[in-house]
Amino acid sequence: MSTESTAILDDYKYGFYTDIESDAVPKGLNEDIIRIISEKKGEPEWMLEWRLKAYRWWLKKTAPSWAHLNYPPIDYQDICYYSAPRKKSDQPDEIDAELEATFEKLGVPLHERNRLAGVAVDAVFDSVSVATTHREMLQEKGIIFCSISEAIRDYPDLVRKYLGTVVPYTDNFFASLNSAVFTDGSFCYIPKGVRCPVELSTYFRINALDTGQFERTLIVAEESSYVSYLEGCTAPARDRHQLHAAVVELIALDNAEIKYATVQNWYAGDKDGKGGIYNFVTKRGHCRGKRSKISWTQVEAGAAITWKYPSVFLEGDGSTGEFYSVAVTTNRMQADTGTKMVHIGNNTKSTIVSKGISAGHSVNSYRGLVQVMPDAHQCRNYSNCDSMLIGPDCSANTFPYIESENSSAVIEHEATTSRVSEDQIFYLRSRGLSEEDAISMVVNGFAREVFKQLPLEFSVEAVRLLEMKLEGSIG
Amino acid sequence: MTTTDLQMEKPVDTLPGFDEAQFSSVLEEGMSPVLAAKREEAFKTYLQIASPKRTDEEWRRTDPTLFPLNDVTRLPALKPVRELPESAWDKEFDVVVAVQDDAFAIMHRNDTAEKLGITVLSLADAAEQKPELVDEYLQGRAVPAESGKYEAFNDAFWNFGLFVHIPEGVEWEKGLLIRYRMEKEDSLLLPRFVAVAGKHSRATVAEHLESPDAIRFMAVPQRELYVDQEANFKLVSLQEWGLNSYQIANDWGLVQRDANLNWITLNFGTALSKMKFGSDVAGPGSAADMDGIFFAAGEQHMDQRTLQIHSSPDTYSRLLYKGAVKDTGRSVYQGLIIARPGAIRVDAYQTNNNIVLNEGARADSIPGLLIDADDLKCSHGSTTGNLDPEQLFYLRSRGINEHDARQALIMGFFEEVVARIPQEFIRDIVHKNIEDKMER
Repeated sequence: MSTESTAILDDYKYGFYTDIESDAVPKGLNEDIIRIISEKKGEPEWMLEWRLKAYRWWLKKTAPSWAHLNYPPIDYQDICYYSAPRKKSDQPDEIDAELEATFEKLGVPLHERNRLAGVAVDAVFDSVSVATTHREMLQEKGIIFCSISEAIRDYPDLVRKYLGTVVPYTDNFFASLNSAVFTDGSFCYIPKGVRCPVELSTYFRINALDTGQFERTLIVAEESSYVSYLEGCTAPARDRHQLHAAVVELIALDNAEIKYATVQNWYAGDKDGKGGIYNFVTKRGHCRGKRSKISWTQVEAGAAITWKYPSVFLEGDGSTGEFYSVAVTTNRMQADTGTKMVHIGNNTKSTIVSKGISAGHSVNSYRGLVQVMPDAHQCRNYSNCDSMLIGPDCSANTFPYIESENSSAVIEHEATTSRVSEDQIFYLRSRGLSEEDAISMVVNGFAREVFKQLPLEFSVEAVRLLEMKLEGSIG
Repeated sequence: MTTTDLQMEKPVDTLPGFDEAQFSSVLEEGMSPVLAAKREEAFKTYLQIASPKRTDEEWRRTDPTLFPLNDVTRLPALKPVRELPESAWDKEFDVVVAVQDDAFAIMHRNDTAEKLGITVLSLADAAEQKPELVDEYLQGRAVPAESGKYEAFNDAFWNFGLFVHIPEGVEWEKGLLIRYRMEKEDSLLLPRFVAVAGKHSRATVAEHLESPDAIRFMAVPQRELYVDQEANFKLVSLQEWGLNSYQIANDWGLVQRDANLNWITLNFGTALSKMKFGSDVAGPGSAADMDGIFFAAGEQHMDQRTLQIHSSPDTYSRLLYKGAVKDTGRSVYQGLIIARPGAIRVDAYQTNNNIVLNEGARADSIPGLLIDADDLKCSHGSTTGNLDPEQLFYLRSRGINEHDARQALIMGFFEEVVARIPQEFIRDIVHKNIEDKMER
């Protein structure tokens, strides 16, 4: 691996690159590459079969074009589908010091001594999971929290039972691609009646050049269990686009609750839209059990292009789905994000709160679906999508789809789009705040409803992230 | 690939039965050279636009193949007659245009229109007699977007055209009634209505469309409303086509500086309909008010798309569409507010309320915002639900029976729009339609 320069750091503080020896497969995608990936991971035969089926399906599909996004076609043969930091052979079980330093720099604690942070972390570096903390404590409770590759090896029955049942490999173009080449991600299993005492967390980092990251996360919450899961992501600043196509599957059984939070800060490219991550993600949860609950919270602050619709299928009677989102776009970023709430069971409820902030020349779209099936009685949905515009050249769009097939459903949707309030800015300015501080205060107030859904440490981080993002975008 | 290959690949797509041969028979009907040239141009466009498919986002909820184009025959150009039977409401208006099957009559009930210099002519006559007035509006269209298949279809094949022009500064108090009564089985009507409200003018036009339930019939209307500077134009369109009829409508209003368009659409009829109502507030200070009622009962399927385009700064638009679905009725509402780049200080509101009266009925609501400017206020709201059980309970507790209570609530629900209809007789028909649909 060469010492590649990362000259275009600008203000993205996670834009550094770690020079680490890595073990990568050649660029391109074919059945052999998939076999190599599968072999490297020591996967059983059924897993390889599944990957190949997904790959063959993917070949027949074309990338979706309905989103309000504009990007050149992606050459899928120009991507490296597997890259792992090479372990030093004399100390195979230790985490590479440089790698550790990288995560330290990112603020991800890999050691148990950081237990104070109260977060159990699974860190994914390019294609593999490098460390999972807090494992013993979790094991005592019967909670499984490990990388998905380990899970395939150690808990094949569980993985086989649930993998692909929420997002099948036939689901969409990017999900098929992910199913064929996914390299790592987290697996999390909460047994019956257990309330996970710490926040579980995965930290994703794309490091190598020209690699795509295809992670797959599967979370299963058994009856009456609870888990809160956090996900964070960054990547080095590079002037080329990199692909990130993840799949996240959540399954909540009777009375279980899953909270899933994302703070996404992939490198978004420079001011002219050069470089940055393409973030094409399929996230979906199934509320399979009665009175189960799945809550998505996302802070989308990075990535050149975001295509992401965390959804909840409300199958169990009385189940609840929530979606809280703040999406910030600046410079030339494009985001088409939102949610799907599909009401299948009776008395199911869903809440959607989406806050879009666009600045610079960015395009920020909310796209959502609320669907009530004919046999779903007494369902309730409330959606609120607000957009804030900062500067004259950005755009904000809202495309909510509401499909009600049951007369007992009550569905409400509200959306507003407006400029950052001049009165409020004026008031704050007259109190001696600088224009930037004033705007940041107004924006934070605007996004508060979503931030308060995040665990405290993340909430603080998210506010800072937003301030950092909007710095300099006010002219 | 060579150039010839590319040319060969150019799609030539026709709607069932409406090909070159059919088009030449249209041209043989005889018309002014200007109109003939326009039609030929439109026909070329028509050939190049692909027919809508179920996979198109706009048609995902309404199957384009269900329209019986194969089974209907285009009526030859409608013949002018001196008079057609009167209707009870004619007396409310100065001019009445009656359309009945293959004939139409333009009846001046008094000389008001003549005195004010108002033109009400068939499009064919207008093109011949007053080219200086009409030609401008034949060049382009009020449509700010590209033509769709059915827009081009109407442009090429229209069989009844009406042109209304209100000169500068004229205030037309009683206005115009256009009424259609179609009784001919398996006929296809392609009306084209061009209305021009000159500078500072003010006028109201009412439309009433009906056909018996028993006959199969299809209409592909197209309305173009040009509202010039500081003019104030009102259009109330009451659609009561029979339950065995079909409609695909594409209507557009273009509103110039400081002008005002007030547009109410009332849709009760058809088995299957797909309608598009779009307004473009194209001059600074202009405003568009769009209101609508729709009620799909039995097996009716109504698909409506509204567009509120803001291509100028300091513009205003407000939209309120209220609908109810009953039995296995289905309604689709798709709305979009578009603020074009530079359209600042825009105020745009869009509200869609749906009542789903029973299980089996379905209402889809897809409000949307597409904003390319800052410094504006745009909002939309959408609700879907049954009648409020608490309100129902309240009325029941006052001794009102279930049937009457439901009736009262649904009337109250629609009243917000009904109250905006200027003509009393139309309000009455709307009330009756709602009652009938509730009873059935």
